[in-house]
Amino acid sequence: MQEAFEIINVKLMESGEKERLMELLRERLIECGWKDEMKSLCRAYVKKKGRNNVTLDDLIYVITPKGRASVPDSVKAELLQRIRSFLVSTSL
Amino acid sequence: MSAPSEDNTAAHAQLASQFFGDLLESIIVDVASECHRIARLGLDQNLEDEEEELKLSTQARVRAADPGNSGEANSKYVVDIFGQTHPPVANEVFECMNCRRSIMAGRFAPHLEKCMGKGRKASLKAMRSSTAAQNRHSRAALLGYSPYSNSNGTTRLSNGSTSIAGDELSNGTCDEP
Repeated sequence: MQEAFEIINVKLMESGEKERLMELLRERLIECGWKDEMKSLCRAYVKKKGRNNVTLDDLIYVITPKGRASVPDSVKAELLQRIRSFLVSTSL
Repeated sequence: MSAPSEDNTAAHAQLASQFFGDLLESIIVDVASECHRIARLGLDQNLEDEEEELKLSTQARVRAADPGNSGEANSKYVVDIFGQTHPPVANEVFECMNCRRSIMAGRFAPHLEKCMGKGRKASLKAMRSSTAAQNRHSRAALLGYSPYSNSNGTTRLSNGSTSIAGDELSNGTCDEP
């Protein structure tokens, strides 16, 4: 499975589809307020720790669980559908 | 490759999930990165303002709570006709409808100045955002004049404040004399 992942990953990147998918996901996550929510989690953490005591790893650690859990179902479904179409098209 | 089968679909579903997770993780790192940069460069105006507000609020509260203050403060502790006393600085805390922060009522006016854009810092902040710039440019193009000729440097184009007569595009119709 890992091999399939790598092979298809290369195809995704070479075709430019990965970039398009990324932009689509980014746009949807902004529209639904997900990004704002993550930013406000970061700001709260920065406020607590003091802005010069915060590392990038800290922030990634802070927002990853909530970030993964709070993607709207519709957004996830849309992206999965796009990805599956791509997988089907490359398998032929 | 093989014709579509149930195994294929299951494999596809799993792969799709993996790729989705990969994309999401990249975006999470991007967002964290952006926030980290803003934090370390001190670009979050609000953070400084909040700390300043907090300081001023606590100062005001101390002054309000101190009975041994000036005569003016003392007179405000005189009981009114309903038998109530009121502190000189309104100390009820509520949520600002613009920026959603907790603000002390007695400090709401100064806060609004900064929050809504009268002050120099706030209007600079508004000018910096790209959407504000796009709005300015598109509305300026619509009204047919340069945004920088506007008088007191406000970035908001409130309706009716322009000095252009006649040609203003209200509902798209042109008035022929």
